Amino acid sequence: MEYLINLIVVAYIVSLIYLAKVELLKTYVKILLVQGLIIFFVALAELKEVDILHLMFVLVETLVFKAIFVPLFMQRVIKRSKQTKNSGMYIKPYISVILATVMVAISFALVESIHDEHLEIKYFTAAISSIMIGLYVGINHRDIITHLISYMIIENGIFLIALALGGEMPILVNSAILLDIFSTILIMGMFFNKIKNYFNSTDETELTKLKD
Amino acid sequence: MIISVFLISSIVFALLAYIIKRPILSHFVTFLYSVFLCIFVGYEYLHINQTQATYFKPDAIGIIFLIVQAIVDLISIIHYYNYTKSRGDHPKSISVHNMGRIIFNMSIAGVLLANHFGVLWVFMEITTLALSLLIYHDRTTTALEGTWKYVFICSIGIAIAFAGVLFLSIGANEVGIKDLFYDQVKEKVTLINPLWLKACFIFILTGFSVKMGLVPLFNVDIDAKDVSPSPVGAKLSSVVMNSGFVAIFRFYDALSGSSIFTWMNHVLLIVGTMSLLFVVAYSLKVNNVKRLLAYSSMEHAALVIIAFACGGLGYFIAILHLIIHSLVKSTLFFQFAQMHRIFKDKNYLNMGAYLKINPLGALVLFLSYISIIGFPPSCMFITEILIFRSIIDSQYAWLAIVIGFFMLFIIYGMSVRIFHILMGKPGVKEFDEKGKNNLESLIQLVVISAVFYLGIVKPDVVVNYIAMAVSTLPH
Repeated sequence: MEYLINLIVVAYIVSLIYLAKVELLKTYVKILLVQGLIIFFVALAELKEVDILHLMFVLVETLVFKAIFVPLFMQRVIKRSKQTKNSGMYIKPYISVILATVMVAISFALVESIHDEHLEIKYFTAAISSIMIGLYVGINHRDIITHLISYMIIENGIFLIALALGGEMPILVNSAILLDIFSTILIMGMFFNKIKNYFNSTDETELTKLKD
Repeated sequence: MIISVFLISSIVFALLAYIIKRPILSHFVTFLYSVFLCIFVGYEYLHINQTQATYFKPDAIGIIFLIVQAIVDLISIIHYYNYTKSRGDHPKSISVHNMGRIIFNMSIAGVLLANHFGVLWVFMEITTLALSLLIYHDRTTTALEGTWKYVFICSIGIAIAFAGVLFLSIGANEVGIKDLFYDQVKEKVTLINPLWLKACFIFILTGFSVKMGLVPLFNVDIDAKDVSPSPVGAKLSSVVMNSGFVAIFRFYDALSGSSIFTWMNHVLLIVGTMSLLFVVAYSLKVNNVKRLLAYSSMEHAALVIIAFACGGLGYFIAILHLIIHSLVKSTLFFQFAQMHRIFKDKNYLNMGAYLKINPLGALVLFLSYISIIGFPPSCMFITEILIFRSIIDSQYAWLAIVIGFFMLFIIYGMSVRIFHILMGKPGVKEFDEKGKNNLESLIQLVVISAVFYLGIVKPDVVVNYIAMAVSTLPH
C-alpha cells in the first residue's frame, strides 16, 4: 500500500512538471482531473477515523469537488471562451519544465531539511511543489484561464499540506473552508466570463487600464 | 446563541435586500440591517469575553473595531443612497450591492469576533467574495478589471494565509493542541517548534497584507479603492484595513510568547518600511485623487505596523491611530463622492476652486486633510508624534529618521494636490454645482469634529478598551 501511495505521489509531482509546459486548455482539465483523483485516493488511504461522517466529507471534498466539479466547471468555462490554446507564456515551455523540476528539487531539499518526525515528507514535498509551481504558472501565463487553473493547483497543494500534518480541523470549520473555496471558484468563473464578453479576449495584457 | 441569530439574520437580510428590486425598499432593508448591527454591537459590548457558539468571543480589540464598523456602515448608507440617486443606477446593481454589503458586514463581524484561527480564515475569505460584488458595482470595464484583480490576488493571498494556518496547525498538533483556538495556542506556544511559527507568520502576513494594504500584495487594494464607488472605497480604507490588522494581531498576539517574538518584529518593520517606500514612489506621481487616498491609507497602515513592531507604547498608539484613521479616511472618501459629482473627474488637475464652489465640502476636505497629514490639533498629530516616540524609545531609533524623511515626501505630495483642489484653477470649464450636498458634508463635519474631540479629550472608555486589547502583549 505504502509503495502504491509513493507511486501516485510521484505521479502527482510529474503532473505538476507537465503543467508548466501545457498550452492546450483541455489538457489543463485533464491534469485537474488526474490530480483530483490522486488526492481522493491518498485522502482515503490516510483516513484515520472511518466513520460515515468523515468518509462522506472526504468523498465530497476530494472526489465530488476536486475530481468532478472543478474539472467539469473548468471544461465549461473553456468551452464558453471558445479558445483551444492559452494566450502564451512569458518564459518558453521547455525552460518552464526545467524551472518546475528545479522547484520540485528545492521543495524536496527544503522538506528534507526540516527533520520533523510527525511530518509526512512525501505529501509535504508534493504540497510545497504544488504551491510553488501553481504560483509560477500564474505568473508565467498571460491567459486568465491559466490564472484560474493556477489557483486550483495552489488549493490542491494546500490540501496536501493538511494531509501531511496528519491532524485535522473540526468538520464544521472544514466544511466552511470547502464552501468558501467552492464559492471563490464560482465567482472567479463568473468574472472570467464577464471579462471574455467585455474584452473579447482573455489575455491579461487587455487588463491594463488601471494605472497611476 | 446571539451570534447564531446574528449570522442567520444577516443572511435573511441579505436575501431580502437582493429580492426586493425597488431601490428605496432595498436601501431601507440595509438601513434596518445597519440598526440591527448597532444593536448586535451593543450586545457584544455588554457581553465582553464571553464565549459564544464555541468559535466566537468578543474581546476588547474585536469590540473596538466592531464599533468602528457600525459607525462607518451607518454613515455610508446615506452616502450610498445619494451615490445611486445621482447616477440613476439600475435597481439590480443596487440590490446586488446591498446584498453584498450585508454579507460583507457579517463576514467582518465574524473576523473580529472569531476565537479560532480556522474560523477567522473562513470569514476573511467571505469578505473577499462580498467585496467582489461591491467593487464591481459600476459595471464598467475598469470596474471589471479592478474586481478581477482583487478577487484573484485576494484568493491567492488568502490561500497563502491558509497555508500559514496549516503550518501553525502542524506545530500545534505536535504539542498536543487539538484545536486552533487563540487561547490554546497562546498557552502552549513556547512548546511549538519555532520553525513552524516562523513559516506561519510569514505566510499569514503575506496573505493578509492584501487586506491591510501593505507590501507585498497592496496593488490590487489600490485598484479596488479606485474603481469602486466612494462609499465602498471608504470601507476598504477603514473596515477592511482594520480587519486585516486584527487578523495579523491575532497571530502576533498568540505567537508573541514564543522565541520568534523579536523576529516577528523585524519582519513587521521590514514590511512597514518597504510599504512607506512604495507610497513615496507612487504618491508623488499620482494624479487620481482616489488613488492618492488609497496610497495615504497604505502609508497609515505602514505606520501602524511599524508602531506595533516597536512594542510598548507603540501597541496602544497603533490601535488608536487605526481608529482615527478609519473615521478620517472614510470621511475623505465620502467627500470625494461630492467632488466627483461636481467635477465629473478623478484627476486633481481637473479640479479646483472647491472652496468657492462648495464651502462646506471644502471645510470638510481641509479638516480631513489636516487630520490625515497629522497636523495639530488633530488626534492624528498626537498619534503620529507618539508613533515616532515609540520608534525612538525602541532599539530602532535610527528608523525614525528614515520614516520622517519618507513622510516629508508623502505630506508634500498630498498637500500639493489638496491645495490645488481647494484653491487652484479648475482644469474643467463646466462643473455641476448640483453635485453639492450640505447634509452629507454636515454628517462628515460631525465625524471630523469627533476626531478632533478625541485628540483633545481622550475618553476613558476608549483608553481603557485599547489598554485592555494590548494587555496580553509582552511589554
